[in-house]
Amino acid sequence: MFVKPFRYERAATFGEAAALLREAPGSLKILAGGQSLLPMVNLGLLDPDALVDITYVSGGGAIAREDGYLSIGALATYRAVEADPLVAAGQPLLPAAIGWVGSSRIRSRGTVGGSLAHSDPTAELPLVMVVAGAEYELTDGASSRTVKATEFHESFFTAALGDDELIERVRVPVLGPGWGWGFAEVSRRRGDFALVAGAALVRVADGEVVEARLGLAGVGERPVRLGGVEIAVAGAEAASIGARVGELEGLNPVGDVNATAEHRRRLARVVAVRALTDAAARAGRVT
Amino acid sequence: MNGEIHTSKLEELRVVHQPLARHDQVGKIAGTTRYAGDFAFPGMLHARLVRSQVPSARLTRRDVTAATRVPGVVAVLLGEDVPNNEIRVDVPGQAVAVGSLKAVMHVLATDRVRFHGEPIALVVAETEEALAAASELVEIDYEEVPVVSDPLAALEDGSPDVHQGGNLLAEWRIDRGDVDAAFAAADVAVEETYRTQFVDHAYLEPEAGVGWLDEDGVLILRVATQVIEHYRDVARILGVPDAKVRVIAPYVGGGFGGKEDMTVEPYLALAVHHTRRPVRMQWTRNESLLARAKRHRNVMRYRTAAAADGTLLAQDIEIVSDAGAYAYLSALVLLYSTVHACGPYRVPNVRIWSRTAYTNNPPTSAFRGFGGMQMVLGYESQIDEVARKLELDAGEVRKRNALVRGDRLPVGQEIITEVQLAQTIDAVRERAGDRPAPSGPRKRVGRAIASNMQSYGRLVWLNDSAAAWIGFQGDGSLTVRCGVPDIGGGQASSLGQIASEVLAVDIDRITVHFGDSALTPLAGTTTATRQLLMSGNATYEAAVRLRDQVLAAIADETGQPVRGLRMESGAIVGPDTRVPLAHALQVCRRRNVPIEALGSFFGPKGREVTRDLEGDRIFPDFTFGTHLADVEVDLDTGQVEILRYIAAHDVGRAINPMSVEGQIAGAVVQGLGQALLEEVVVIDGVNMTPGLFQYLIPTASDVPDIESIILESGEGLGPFGARGIGEPPIGPPIAVIPAAIADAVGARPTQLPVTPERVLDAVARGAVDAPEGATA
Amino acid sequence: MSEDAGVSVTLVVNGTPVIRTAGGHLSLLDWLREAAGVTDPKYGCGEGICGACTVLVNGEPASACIVLAAQVDGADITTASGLCEPGGSLSPLQRSFHQHHAAQCGFCTPGMLLCAHAMLRDAGRRLTRAEIREGLHGNLCRCTGYTDIVDAIEAAQSMGIVR
Repeated sequence: MFVKPFRYERAATFGEAAALLREAPGSLKILAGGQSLLPMVNLGLLDPDALVDITYVSGGGAIAREDGYLSIGALATYRAVEADPLVAAGQPLLPAAIGWVGSSRIRSRGTVGGSLAHSDPTAELPLVMVVAGAEYELTDGASSRTVKATEFHESFFTAALGDDELIERVRVPVLGPGWGWGFAEVSRRRGDFALVAGAALVRVADGEVVEARLGLAGVGERPVRLGGVEIAVAGAEAASIGARVGELEGLNPVGDVNATAEHRRRLARVVAVRALTDAAARAGRVT
Repeated sequence: MNGEIHTSKLEELRVVHQPLARHDQVGKIAGTTRYAGDFAFPGMLHARLVRSQVPSARLTRRDVTAATRVPGVVAVLLGEDVPNNEIRVDVPGQAVAVGSLKAVMHVLATDRVRFHGEPIALVVAETEEALAAASELVEIDYEEVPVVSDPLAALEDGSPDVHQGGNLLAEWRIDRGDVDAAFAAADVAVEETYRTQFVDHAYLEPEAGVGWLDEDGVLILRVATQVIEHYRDVARILGVPDAKVRVIAPYVGGGFGGKEDMTVEPYLALAVHHTRRPVRMQWTRNESLLARAKRHRNVMRYRTAAAADGTLLAQDIEIVSDAGAYAYLSALVLLYSTVHACGPYRVPNVRIWSRTAYTNNPPTSAFRGFGGMQMVLGYESQIDEVARKLELDAGEVRKRNALVRGDRLPVGQEIITEVQLAQTIDAVRERAGDRPAPSGPRKRVGRAIASNMQSYGRLVWLNDSAAAWIGFQGDGSLTVRCGVPDIGGGQASSLGQIASEVLAVDIDRITVHFGDSALTPLAGTTTATRQLLMSGNATYEAAVRLRDQVLAAIADETGQPVRGLRMESGAIVGPDTRVPLAHALQVCRRRNVPIEALGSFFGPKGREVTRDLEGDRIFPDFTFGTHLADVEVDLDTGQVEILRYIAAHDVGRAINPMSVEGQIAGAVVQGLGQALLEEVVVIDGVNMTPGLFQYLIPTASDVPDIESIILESGEGLGPFGARGIGEPPIGPPIAVIPAAIADAVGARPTQLPVTPERVLDAVARGAVDAPEGATA
Repeated sequence: MSEDAGVSVTLVVNGTPVIRTAGGHLSLLDWLREAAGVTDPKYGCGEGICGACTVLVNGEPASACIVLAAQVDGADITTASGLCEPGGSLSPLQRSFHQHHAAQCGFCTPGMLLCAHAMLRDAGRRLTRAEIREGLHGNLCRCTGYTDIVDAIEAAQSMGIVR
C-alpha cells in the first residue's frame, strides 16, 4: 500500500546481482527474504529505485558439512537452518537462536544472508556467528573474499560489505567435543526483537571450565565478545560458572521505547550468566 | 465453553441462553465476509490524507501545485475546499467560566495544527502509486509554536494555550457529606497517586471505507464504523440535507470506541462530493497508531479514610485527564471517571474534583471503559492498601463496603438492581484454589483480586432510543431490520436469538439486516455497552408486538381465546388448535393484520447534569464483577508471567453464553495489555510508537486461558434481565496485576504500564531480594 | 523515481491459476487483493507483524504484505477460503473454530486459521495448549482474548485436520 513504485529486477546468479549493484550504486537494494527490507519500504523508511531479487539464485541456500565446518548458503531460510540435522549436530547455537526469531512466517522466508547483511545489533544470528567464530564469504561476481564475523558487523545496520558485494555463504566451525552451548534472550514478548541476548560456548573437562566464549547482542552497535568474562571464568568449577562473572565491561546499550539503557545493562548480566550456566551444564553432560 | 454459569432465576428459554454458534462467524471463518476495505468499484479512486509532521505549529504555506500535477491525481483538497470545515462538539454541563464551549475541530487544518498527524490535505487519485507520489509533493511550511505536553502543566498559569480560552476543557465536582471531619475521625488514611497511559485501540482492521453517489444523488458511505448516525455530521460538513447521505456499516473488524467518532467518513464524503466518482480510503496502521484518538491518560490522586473494621469513611479524589489536541468526547469521558471514581462501594463522604486539559498530544476520546475503567486502578489499589494496613482480608473489606440495592453513589444515583459483588468475590476465590508455588529460586508468586463496576447504557439525559423492525415472510421465515452496527460482539446475532425466542422461529430461518442508516430503523451507537439494552429491547418489543398481532388474528379467526394461544416452531398452537404458520400468515393478510411490526425502546430519562455533579440517575444501571490473578515475577528480569486469570461478572442474563465469555476474555486481554505492555509514547507531542513493532499488544503467548464465571441475577434492564458486558471486564485487569505483583514482591506499582523496569523498581522497594546484578 | 513497466506473475490461488501483469513492486497481498480480487487476506499493518495477511506459499505460512508477488512466481497460494472443502463447506478446523466461538470481528481469523492449519499439520503429534499458544504468537487478535481460539485448535486435533 502507498509504496512508491520501484523497479523489480531478478538476478539468476550472485554475479548478476553484483553487476546490477555496480551499475546503479546507492539506489538499488538486494532483496532476499525481504522480512527486514520490505517492512521498511512499506513504512516509507526506505525508498529504493529498484530491488534486485536474488531468491531465484539456484543452490543459493545449500547447507553442507565440510571439513570441520558447516557451509550455509546465504539464501538458506531460518526455517531450513533450524530444521537441518547437520546444523543441529554441528553448531546447536544456531537452531537455539533461530527459535527466538520472530514468527513462523518470518522464519519461513527470512534468510541467513539477509539477516547478516542487515546487521541489526539486537539480532540473534550475527551474535551466534560472532561467538561461533564464523566467517562470511563475500562475492562481487568476479572475486571472493572472506571476512570474519567479528569484523563484518561494524555498527548499527552497517556491515563491512562493499557497495557491489553480496554474502554468498557462511562457514561456521563445527563445535568440537567437550563443548556445550547456551543461549538466553530477554524480549518484551515472545518473538519480539531482543532487548538483550547472550550466546555462550563453554568447554569443560573434569568438571572445570577449560575455555569459554561469550557474546552479547543489544548492548551496543554490534554484537560484542566479552573477553574479560571469558578470562575470568576459565578455571572455574563448571557448576558455579555464574559466580565468576564479575562486572561486564564495554557495554554501550541504547535506550528506546521498549527498554531503558540501564535496564538493558542489567539484563546483560542476567543473560550472560544464564547462557554461560547452560553452556557449562551441557558441556558437563557431554563429557 | 469453559465457563460456569450460576443462575439465580431460571426461566424456560429455548434459544436465548443457549451457546449457539453464531451465523455471522461462518463467513468470517470461510474468508467470504467483506469488510469495509474489501469493496471495489470499477473506476474507483483512492484517497489519502497528508498529515502534520509536527505537533504544534501555524501553517504558513500550503501549496498543492506540484502534487496536483502528478499523473493520475484527480484532486488535492484543502480546508478551503470543505463546504463546512468546522466540526463543533457540545461540551455538556460546564460553567460559563470554563466555556460551555463549543469545542471546534476542522476537517482539514487551515492555519494551525495541534497534534502530530493532524490532517491538512486530501489527495484523490486513480492509483495508490499516484497517491504515494503526490502525498510527498504537497508543500507545507510550519511555524512551530510551543508544545503543551503535560496536562498538569497545561492547567497552570502561564502555560501556552492550545485553543483560545485556556486549556481547561471541562471539570466536574462531587461534594457529599463532610470529608474533612471523616478524615479527622478515621483510624487509617491512605494517600497515593496513580497514573495511566495513552492506549490505542489497535483493532486488527485499520480505518477504511468506500463512498459513492447513487442514481438519486445520495452519497453512500460504506465504512467501518460503530455509529451510522454520522450521516448527519457528514451532511452538515457537505452542506447537503441529512436525507441525502446514507451510511452503511458492514461487519467491522474491531471498534472498541475507536470507530465511534468519524474517521474516514468526512474525507471519503469530500472526495466523492468533489469528484462525483466512487472513492476508497484505507488508513495505514501507521496513521491509525499515529493520529487516531486514544484512551485518556489519567493522573488520579486518592486519599482514602477508613475505620478500624475496614469501613470506608471518605474518599478525596483529584483527577486530571489529558484531552489531547481536540475535545472529542473528553468531557463525557471525564464525567464517567468522576461518577465511577469510588467504585462499587458505599462511601458516605466524598469530594471529587476532576479536570480535563487540552495538550498537543494525540486527541483522546472513546475507548472501551470510557474513563470509568482507569479509576479501577485507583479505587482497588486504595482498598487493598486499607485492608493491608488494617491487616484485614482484601475480599472481606470489599464485601463489607459493597453497594447494595437502595444505596446511592456519591453522585446521588440510587442502585436499583441487585448487586452480586460478594458472590463474584467468592466465585473467583473458590475457583482459584491454592496459590501455585514459584517455579524457581529467583521467582516470586503473587495473587490478588480486583472488583469493579461499570455502567451500561448511555447517560440518561441523552434521550437514548433504538428501534427494530421484524417481519414474517409468507413461508414463515423472518426478517429483522435494525440499524445496530455489528463490531464483532454478536450485536446482530443477539437480535436474531431474541426474535427466535419470542416468535419460535428457528434461528436458521431468520435473517438480520443491520447497519444501514437509510434502510434499517436507527438503533443508535454500538458503544457504551448499550446495544443489548437498547436494540435488544427494541427487538424484543417488535417481536412481542408481532406475536400478539398474529395471535389476536388467529383468535378472532378461530374463536379461541387469545390467552390460550402460543407460537411454536412452525405453528400457532392452542388447547384444541394447531394452525400451521404459513396458513396463519395468510389469515392475517385476509384480515388486514400486518405481519410485521416496529418496536422502539427508550432509555431511562434524567435531567442534564451541571458541573457540580448530582442526580438521581446518571446511567441506566451498572454491571459488577471481580477478577483474580496469579502472577509470577522474575526477580532478575522484571518479567511477569500471568499464571492464572479468573473473571466473574453478574451479567443479568446471558443471551448467548459463548458470546458473553468471548466478551469477557477479549476485554480482559485488552486490560492486561494496558496493565503490562501497551503505551502510546508521546514525547513533546511527538508520537514515538506508530508501528506495531513498538506498540505492543498481547499475543497468545502473553496471556493464559481466561476463565469466566457467569452469574445471572436476572436483574439487568436488558431483554430477559440482561446486563451489558462489553466494557465491564476491561477495568479489573489494570488493578489486579499491580496488586498481584505487590503481593509477590512487597511493593505496589502505581503507574501503567507495569514495565519490567517498574517491576524491578517495586522489587527494590519491597526489598524482597537483591537482583542478581547488584554488587553485594 | 523509476517505475516498473509490468511483471507477469502466475500464482495458483486455491487451486486456480491466476495470471496478471502488474507492477513488480506489488506485494503479494496487494496483488491478491487488487489484481486478483482475493480479499480474504487482510491489510492489518504492512509490517509483517499482525498476521492478518497470512497466506500459505507452497504450504508455508508467509506474511503477504512483506513478500513481493514477483518473488513467488509460480507458487501455490492458499488463503483461508482455500481451506474449505470442495463445495464450500467448512473444513474440520474451520468447523471447530465455529463451534468454539473462535471468531468475533473475524478480521484476524483467515490468518489465524492458516497458521493453525500449518502448525497442526507440521506437529506430527498432539500439541499442548501452551505449544498452541507459542505457535500462534505471531497472529494478533484484539477481540477474543485467544482462549476460544486455543480451544478450537486443541479440539481440532482430534478431528483429523491433516490433509
